[in-house]
Amino acid sequence: MSQPILQARGLTVRFGGLTAVDRVELDLPEGQLAGLIGPNGAGKTTCFNLFTGRIKPNEGKLTFAGQPIVGLRPSRINQLGMARTFQNIRLFGELSVLDNVLVGFHGGLKSNFLSAILRLPGYVAEERGMQRRAGEILELTGLTRLRDEPAGSLAYGQQRLLEIARALATDPKLILLDEPAAGMNPQETTGLAALVRRLRDELGVTVLLIEHDMRFVMKLCEQITVLDHGKVIARGAPHQVQRDPAVIQAYLGAGEGEGVAS
Amino acid sequence: MPRNPHEKFGLTALLKPGGLLSPGALPPAHQTRRRDTMLTIGACLLAALGLWLLEGHASGYVVHLTCVGAIFATLAVSYNLINGVTGQFSLEPNAFVACGAYVTALLTLSPAEKEASFILEPLIWPLSAFSIPLLPALVIAGLLTALMAFLMGFPVFRVRGDYLAIVTLGFGEVIRVVANNAQSVTNGPLGLKGIPHITNLWWSWGLLAVCLFFIVRLVHSSYGRALMAIREDETAAEAMGINAFWHKMLAFTLSAFFEGVAGGLLAHLITTISPSLFTFFLTFNLLIIIVVGGLGSTTGAVLGAFLFTYGGEWLRVVEEPMQLMGLDIPGIPGMRMVIFSLILVGVMIFLRRGILGRHDFSWRWLLASLGLGRGSKA
Amino acid sequence: MDAAQLTQQMINGLTLGSLYALIAIGYTMVYGILRLINFAHGDVLMVGCYFAWFGAVQFGLPWWVALMGSMALTAALGVLIDQGAYRPLRQAPRISALITAIGVSFFLENLGLVVFGGRPKAFARPEMFNHIYQWGEVRVLSLSIWVPILTAIILAGLILFIHRTRMGMAMRALSRDLVTVQLMGIDPNRIIAATFALGSALAAAGGVLWAMKYPQINPLMGVLPGLKAFVAAVLGGIGNVTGAMLGGLLLGMAEIMLVALLPELAGYRDALAFVMLIGILIFRPTGIMGEELPE
Repeated sequence: MSQPILQARGLTVRFGGLTAVDRVELDLPEGQLAGLIGPNGAGKTTCFNLFTGRIKPNEGKLTFAGQPIVGLRPSRINQLGMARTFQNIRLFGELSVLDNVLVGFHGGLKSNFLSAILRLPGYVAEERGMQRRAGEILELTGLTRLRDEPAGSLAYGQQRLLEIARALATDPKLILLDEPAAGMNPQETTGLAALVRRLRDELGVTVLLIEHDMRFVMKLCEQITVLDHGKVIARGAPHQVQRDPAVIQAYLGAGEGEGVAS
Repeated sequence: MPRNPHEKFGLTALLKPGGLLSPGALPPAHQTRRRDTMLTIGACLLAALGLWLLEGHASGYVVHLTCVGAIFATLAVSYNLINGVTGQFSLEPNAFVACGAYVTALLTLSPAEKEASFILEPLIWPLSAFSIPLLPALVIAGLLTALMAFLMGFPVFRVRGDYLAIVTLGFGEVIRVVANNAQSVTNGPLGLKGIPHITNLWWSWGLLAVCLFFIVRLVHSSYGRALMAIREDETAAEAMGINAFWHKMLAFTLSAFFEGVAGGLLAHLITTISPSLFTFFLTFNLLIIIVVGGLGSTTGAVLGAFLFTYGGEWLRVVEEPMQLMGLDIPGIPGMRMVIFSLILVGVMIFLRRGILGRHDFSWRWLLASLGLGRGSKA
Repeated sequence: MDAAQLTQQMINGLTLGSLYALIAIGYTMVYGILRLINFAHGDVLMVGCYFAWFGAVQFGLPWWVALMGSMALTAALGVLIDQGAYRPLRQAPRISALITAIGVSFFLENLGLVVFGGRPKAFARPEMFNHIYQWGEVRVLSLSIWVPILTAIILAGLILFIHRTRMGMAMRALSRDLVTVQLMGIDPNRIIAATFALGSALAAAGGVLWAMKYPQINPLMGVLPGLKAFVAAVLGGIGNVTGAMLGGLLLGMAEIMLVALLPELAGYRDALAFVMLIGILIFRPTGIMGEELPE
């Protein structure tokens, strides 16, 4: 636990004249349930995009599991053990629920394409293993019933769960959840909270999540980082962050209806 | 983009759950694998019997057409792998077919034949000095075409969408220009003549079988799922650990391999090749085939290829003089292509997913549709 | 190569480049607004040439009347193609529209073959374009002087139009985003129609000048100029009218200079555009005028 699993130093990215992420520092201890919050446009999703290699920072360093990851392809970063979900759900809409999960295993596949075509024993064993583990993940996320449905036909909340299921299939050490509860009803949100906790407790996955549902964040997360205008303005346990004047100011100043202390 | 996999238009409605041809949930593939393999082998034997009968009893014209159909089916299935399955809309198959055709022909033509053909400039050594049998020539042609695709892939897959289309089309044009100008290799605009007529039903259908074996199995493997994931959402696929670039390369080079081999067989079917045979027009025909069949459906590509081959012959009536209600209507040469173009535009507007959408044939589906084999030892 | 030859080749390059520029603008305007490579643009140009041919040769109209008439008819054709083939696909994936455009392109070519026949038709050069000017060693056809001049006039008019008129400004706005245009209260479909009309009219002008240069027309004449003009548009930075002009000039110059300086490679001239295209997409994907490539 000494070495943080994800570490950001001076992380900065600019789009044109706008500094979207400004010298962000982050130390995410392994096994933590952490939250990343802030008003709309604070740079939260941009941070996720930076961590996962989708965009490259202008400045700064990123270390994941002891390895520098700036400049690596997103697929490589994922293979190192960082998975994510997307705020604006990006499932493989025409593939079945099961296939969406199976796709997640592909990055870890050892057999080459010829042995896959020729169905050599090594590939067949791997495929069987993927099918079995996909079944377990669907069971865990409660999607077993829907395994043959096209992902695009699922209800909103189920699609969010499938995003998590697919990310889990990549066998992550760290999972980044981008607004996992958005669009869910209270019952689904409760289920989601339980699922996220199980990911950490039973599978040992470190979780970093962005969420606007403050009750959800405050109840679930052990450590919260608050971003505003691309800068980290506060960090700490939920009850500390909630009372932080800078945080209250940021949320009030943003003029949003969402209170921190709800 | 509408994500609903079942478009409201046309024939795909039949395949919708509850539609005429949709038996509902199918038994899982792994439970019926042995039975399905037996059925496939049986079907292949049946097809072979059919070809044998065709060879013995049908006219030379029908046999030729059936060879062309199989070659086009091979081309369409390969083209569909990159365009339909992987969703990388590219326009270069004419280049790959040309490469395969020229390489194979240059390897099989006898030195004497080559010397007679290359009038303006002699063929470069060592090509001028030897010839080899068709089978190794086809393999070499396929590998060289795949290598060309591999090298092309580096610049080409830096771009996406319609830029990819234009760059690949540009490559096709470059190859045609090279074929026209590299006199000492391609014999320029004169092309190659006297290529031995070796391709028959067994060669063409054999290639189709091999191609289907490879591509269907690839598509129904973890690699196939990865390719489709790239088609559906490249960003998400990358985030799930799939290296989009190398997977596109895989689909591209594999399809180039089979397109090259098919080009070689085509050359040994029509016995004369020249650069004018491999213009964008060839790609256009393949595009119609895979779009009408259903972009992304291997079954659709095969179906489209045979519809195109036989339908195209049938459509020749519009180019011939005919009598209609006592009126003499002169033939209109070129009318077929007008109709083909209209079909393409019409399909895009009214039946965007083609005949089969992204559905593929499987024994499970067929048997379940016939009311057999449902829930077999589940 | 001596100075006289160089001058002569420069003029040739300028002429060819102007023609590419005229055609490239239609591509770039449509792309800017619809993100559609209007594959049929080169074939629209071909039809425009036949319109002018009918006007000038069959009906014996003065060349400039035939040109104007052809531009008007071709503009109508462009709008018709958009309304008939592209408009139903506005909400469809972009690739569907591209496939349709390829279909329309082949439709026009083959319809041209059916209706006009495959044999090239002679396109008489009007008297004023048929002089040979001679300065010392430099011999130049008057057409080669007139083409850049006419092009410059047309382009000046175009730039005034898109910067000064309400419709022109709406076009520019639409190529950035739709919301502004809706705020301006102009129906986007009218703007798109106007764009097709304008682009097609320019293609007709380019085509007629092209036909005078060679001087013959056939149903497949639009294919290569069309493709190359698209490359020119990308070279200049697609969606950008000034870029399209620069790209066209650059491509024309490069082609002529390739033939002039490396005559043994003259046969590869038609491949040059695509080699440049591949090069620019690798090294500077935003083109000369540098707007972002859309994903």
